[in-house]
Amino acid sequence: MGNFKLTTVEEFEAATNRLLETGKKVGADAWQYRVANQTPHCKFGEQGICCRICSMGPCRITPKAPRGICGCDAHGIVARNYLKFTAGGAATHSDHGREICHTLYCAKPEGPYKVKDPEKLIRIAKEWGVETEGKDIYDLAHEVAYLGLSEYGKVFGNQNFIKRAPQHTQDLWQREEIAPRAIDREVASSLHMTHMGCSSKPEALIRQSLRAGLCDGWGGSMAGTEFSDVLFGTPRPIETEANLGVMNAENVNIVVHGHDPSLSEMICEYADDPEMIAYAKEMGAKGITVSGVCCTSNEVAMRRGIPMAGNFLQQENVVLTGACEAIVVDVQCIFPALGPLSKCFHTKFVTTSPIAQMPDSEYIRFSAETAAENAKAIVKMAIENFKNRKPELVHIPDMKQKATVGYSVEAIVKTLDGVTNSQVDVTGTTKPLIECITSGVIRGAVAMVGCNNPKVRPDTAHIELMKKLIANDIIVVASGCSAQAAAKAGLMDKAAKDICGAGLKRVCELADIPPVLHMGSCVDISRMLILVAELSKDSGLNISQLPVVGCAPEWMSEKAVSIGNYVVATGLDTFLGVEPYVSGSSEVAELLTNGIRDWVEAAYTVEKDIDKLGDKMIERIEEKRTAIGI
Amino acid sequence: MTLFDVVFKGNDAVYGLTEQAIDAAIAQHGADKAVAFPDTAYSLPCYFGVTGTKVGNLGELKTALGVVKTLMTREKKLNDVFMSGVATALCAEFIEVLKYIDGAVPYEAPCYGHLADAVIRELGVPLVTGDIPGVAVILGTAPTAQEAVDLVKSYQGQGILVTLVGGVIDQLQEMGYKTGANVRVIPLGKDVTSVIHVVSVAVRAALIFGNIQGGDAAGLMKYTFERVPAFVNAFGPLDEVVVACGAGAVALGFPVITNDVATLEAVNGKVPKSIIGQPDVAKFNATSLEARNIKIKITNIDIPVAFASAFEGEIIRRGDMQVEFDGSRVDCAELVQTREASEIEDHKIEVIGPDIDEMPVGSKQSLAYVVEVAGKTMQADFEPVFERKFHSYLNCVEGMMHTGQRDMIRIRVSKDTFNAGFRLKHIGEVLYAKVKSEFAAVVDKCQVKIYSKPEDCTRIRHEVAIPVFDKRDERLTTLTDESVDVYYSCIMCQAFSPSHVCVVTPERLGLCGAVSWLDAKATNQLDPQGPCQVITKEKVIDERIGEYEDVNDAVRKFSQGALDDVSLYSIIEKPMTSCGCFECICGIEPLSNGVCIANREYAGMTPIGMTFSELASMTGGGVQTPGFMGHGKHFIASKKFMKAEGGVARIVWMPKELKETVADRLNETAKELYGIENFCDMIGDETVAEDPETLLAFLEEKGHPALTMEPMM
Repeated sequence: MGNFKLTTVEEFEAATNRLLETGKKVGADAWQYRVANQTPHCKFGEQGICCRICSMGPCRITPKAPRGICGCDAHGIVARNYLKFTAGGAATHSDHGREICHTLYCAKPEGPYKVKDPEKLIRIAKEWGVETEGKDIYDLAHEVAYLGLSEYGKVFGNQNFIKRAPQHTQDLWQREEIAPRAIDREVASSLHMTHMGCSSKPEALIRQSLRAGLCDGWGGSMAGTEFSDVLFGTPRPIETEANLGVMNAENVNIVVHGHDPSLSEMICEYADDPEMIAYAKEMGAKGITVSGVCCTSNEVAMRRGIPMAGNFLQQENVVLTGACEAIVVDVQCIFPALGPLSKCFHTKFVTTSPIAQMPDSEYIRFSAETAAENAKAIVKMAIENFKNRKPELVHIPDMKQKATVGYSVEAIVKTLDGVTNSQVDVTGTTKPLIECITSGVIRGAVAMVGCNNPKVRPDTAHIELMKKLIANDIIVVASGCSAQAAAKAGLMDKAAKDICGAGLKRVCELADIPPVLHMGSCVDISRMLILVAELSKDSGLNISQLPVVGCAPEWMSEKAVSIGNYVVATGLDTFLGVEPYVSGSSEVAELLTNGIRDWVEAAYTVEKDIDKLGDKMIERIEEKRTAIGI
Repeated sequence: MTLFDVVFKGNDAVYGLTEQAIDAAIAQHGADKAVAFPDTAYSLPCYFGVTGTKVGNLGELKTALGVVKTLMTREKKLNDVFMSGVATALCAEFIEVLKYIDGAVPYEAPCYGHLADAVIRELGVPLVTGDIPGVAVILGTAPTAQEAVDLVKSYQGQGILVTLVGGVIDQLQEMGYKTGANVRVIPLGKDVTSVIHVVSVAVRAALIFGNIQGGDAAGLMKYTFERVPAFVNAFGPLDEVVVACGAGAVALGFPVITNDVATLEAVNGKVPKSIIGQPDVAKFNATSLEARNIKIKITNIDIPVAFASAFEGEIIRRGDMQVEFDGSRVDCAELVQTREASEIEDHKIEVIGPDIDEMPVGSKQSLAYVVEVAGKTMQADFEPVFERKFHSYLNCVEGMMHTGQRDMIRIRVSKDTFNAGFRLKHIGEVLYAKVKSEFAAVVDKCQVKIYSKPEDCTRIRHEVAIPVFDKRDERLTTLTDESVDVYYSCIMCQAFSPSHVCVVTPERLGLCGAVSWLDAKATNQLDPQGPCQVITKEKVIDERIGEYEDVNDAVRKFSQGALDDVSLYSIIEKPMTSCGCFECICGIEPLSNGVCIANREYAGMTPIGMTFSELASMTGGGVQTPGFMGHGKHFIASKKFMKAEGGVARIVWMPKELKETVADRLNETAKELYGIENFCDMIGDETVAEDPETLLAFLEEKGHPALTMEPMM
């Protein structure tokens, strides 16, 4: 414990630079070079005032040309682009959720997909009004999966999961007509609204952006999370390690990357198979190491303790180690660059999903029905590739940190039960956390999420903000690439309590938790929604009154915008470190940073100065405390 | 008002009072007037712990108050609240120390006020072994006197040390409830500031056992949080001052449980595991233990009175006594014997002879009890280990007093306990239950025979017990460091003293006096992963000072690298470390070229110019301090005592009482080693000298051998 030390961004960068040296030797490209080639970026694009939704254009707005050919002004164009961006994100997350529902539908007692958390399945079934008594668990799984799939195209009504929100929040959504309906409908309606000649009124477009976001957060993403738990187990605190040093030069290294755990779960299963390990030894390796990148990594880290090799902007680095036998990907956030890069090494770049097909990859189409054979074939391919490794190119940076991950809402509540006193308290609630907050021991909480973006020095914003927040007695829950940044730095090591303020430190000691809690992948931001809903119900405060805010300091994807929208629409002020493409419209910017507060009691704050962003969050948290007299 | 605001307000109020009190004292006595607590080497222990500065007079106290003020920051963060709590505690310490000006005795029975360092050193072992599983600080006035009694009694029954502050003291007095250190209920004082006297105990525990350096406030708070199992029970109504004190308690890691739920709720003051509202005083005990994670070892013993370590020090006076068994007047004995499993019927308790109700009240009687055990891994060497625990077992019975051992025992049973239905078979129940539960790893079956007919007792004593004792003594005399193949480590104290390791050898028992080589061997057998591990002694480095490669390896491992090498027989070269709960401390007295030894019970001055407390503060916490060594009383007569420096001939001074205790054995050792008769007569004591010059004159007159030995340094 005495030798705990955070890993710095400078150390990350030194390791990356060393790997880029290897890259140079083999003529590899890298995002660092491509960023340079792409800078400066298109100003019209950045401001969101380029319209190319019909073939009369493209039109772009300037002071001399304030309207497009159809007559749409900058506000309409920006808002339309914003909604399209959101719809892309909502579709993506939700389609992931749909795949999981489908996998659950394929679950069988004999596997390969089984129901690992039947209790959770029964809980959801009851919540959805499905009769559970005397039913075979797999019959129930199929019935619930079918209902889950139906949420995507349900004819009438709203998403089932929104009933989990506090009544006040649900009332707001109904009042503002943003309660999410069928998931596919919200995405389709968004695309309909943004078609040439439909909506150009910012209020209407932003309202739909919130609604499309909500169908993701309280619909598709939540389905993704909940049914992944049913299939693969609800995460519980588990020890793991993070950063490239988790790869092992003596072993066959398989790196899983993407988002959907259906594939990676199977890879992990077979990499653990004694037969496969024996085969790896036969091929001259000492064993098999599976590690992860991006959210697939988060999924298997949370459930299996599989180590995390890195986050989004580190995906090329795993190949640059020269020790990666296979990088196996499913969907989302996968650089097409991995194809050409893998050709510079012995690495097999294996794509598996019809959704994410790329040049220069080995495509092994993966499906729930044939998962076992697919996974086995992939592991075997990696093992057989070990002999092709070029030893002179192998360099794995000796850099990793310990992390305790796996804080699902269920795990958080269980952890909180551990600090209750059975003589006075009830268990199974978030009340102990509320007491810590209302007494002032913890000032509040920040949900840190999102990606890396070369516009921000990678990981700096995540790490610096977290350090600042925990030093100020603000607990951080993190997911996605933000969580991995924290883990790489060492902020998910329980020893990180020593860099917290006295209040958070004491809480970490009493609850035996790290100060930054890993809540999962990006679909798992739905867990954060459930957590704030529970906090609201247990405290009697509205979500917007809680001293809790959201933050995506290095976000980059469409999914991130969809997430931002559902987080704000749920009542949490959200702080961004990268500007969305809306600066071309004062009206849209005003709506997002202020106007929508009238609808959902929360709004965005954008601040590119990371230190100021931290100050603003702390300030907002203190304002919220003052407002409720705590 | 928020919880934080209340703490700040309470802290400000106490600070104001302290400033006034110090100013008034300076006006009355002048700034040069000395201030100190009696019997401590740590000046104002809390202030010293937090700042590393020792305060000597009123002027310095005023300066110290300025330092306290710097802790009183007012940001709305827990750190500010913790520091304000600490500041409040320090102010209380300042107010309290003023009461001791001019050697005043500000506290009268039943209140204790300041507690001496020696008291804390004594608490070390029972806290480590869990005999004292926790420390309760009860503050304020209970809703009713009966509830106060019930609460105190409940802790006492669990062996928890209870300290009292405020109205609860009067409530116990009113109910005629017995208090005092011997029953582990210590009234501190009636002013809220007297709570500092228990805080001072916790702080000194960190300084003494934890090797926390004065001024390392963070280390201090970490130590108390992790290692001192204390908690506070504060009766409502809570005022700001109590809440500010509470913040100090929580800062040290001690949860506060209060029945003033309304006040807590009004300020959103509930904090999990730290500040807990419990309206029902009857549930304070369970709530507190759970909050501080204190587990009570439950041994269910079928006797009609309570059984708890809190009763261990209880004294039964003649007038309260139903009957007495006195080995100094009639034949008595206690004995453990190993038998074949087939010879024992488990849990059979036989009383052979008259029972207590057949004995005249106040009479002296014979008693002999033999505990027969069988087990596959039982060894005869363990018999005395079990036997020596009988003293503690029987003393834990409420209303029963046991002293001595072997055939020199004395047992008193109180009238109350007799009236509650206690009979001789219950002695058997206690011994059976404890032996079976504590030595479960080696004892499979156990039965007890209790003889009360004088003729049986005479027979058991002379024909059975004494031959066994003689045989054992013979074994002990042949049990030398050279005659065994292995030594044992003992790290029982690491709960408190994280880097200390004792190396226990046949001729050098643990410094606490509680762990002999045989004890360590038994402990190892009972729990092979436990605190006592086998240490081989195959690779000698230096025979003279007793240094072994294997011993060093073990010490390095068990001290987590804090300690590199250790000698068994030298106090100058790589001396063995101390945890802090040593029975005795010896230190070099340069003028006479020898060492002085002081025992914990001795409160006076030594010729070294330091009291036991001051000497003791030179070492402890697992650090090597050449020239000072903590050790057990028994070690004094060992042939291995300071062997490297020439052995027991170096001993020039001991308190009289200690000298008398060890005289027979020490004389024997000196005779054997140097051919000196009655060596103890050459050793000085407090009646001879408390300064080095007088001592030297005495030693010269006696021709003490140390004077002609090689210089030690």
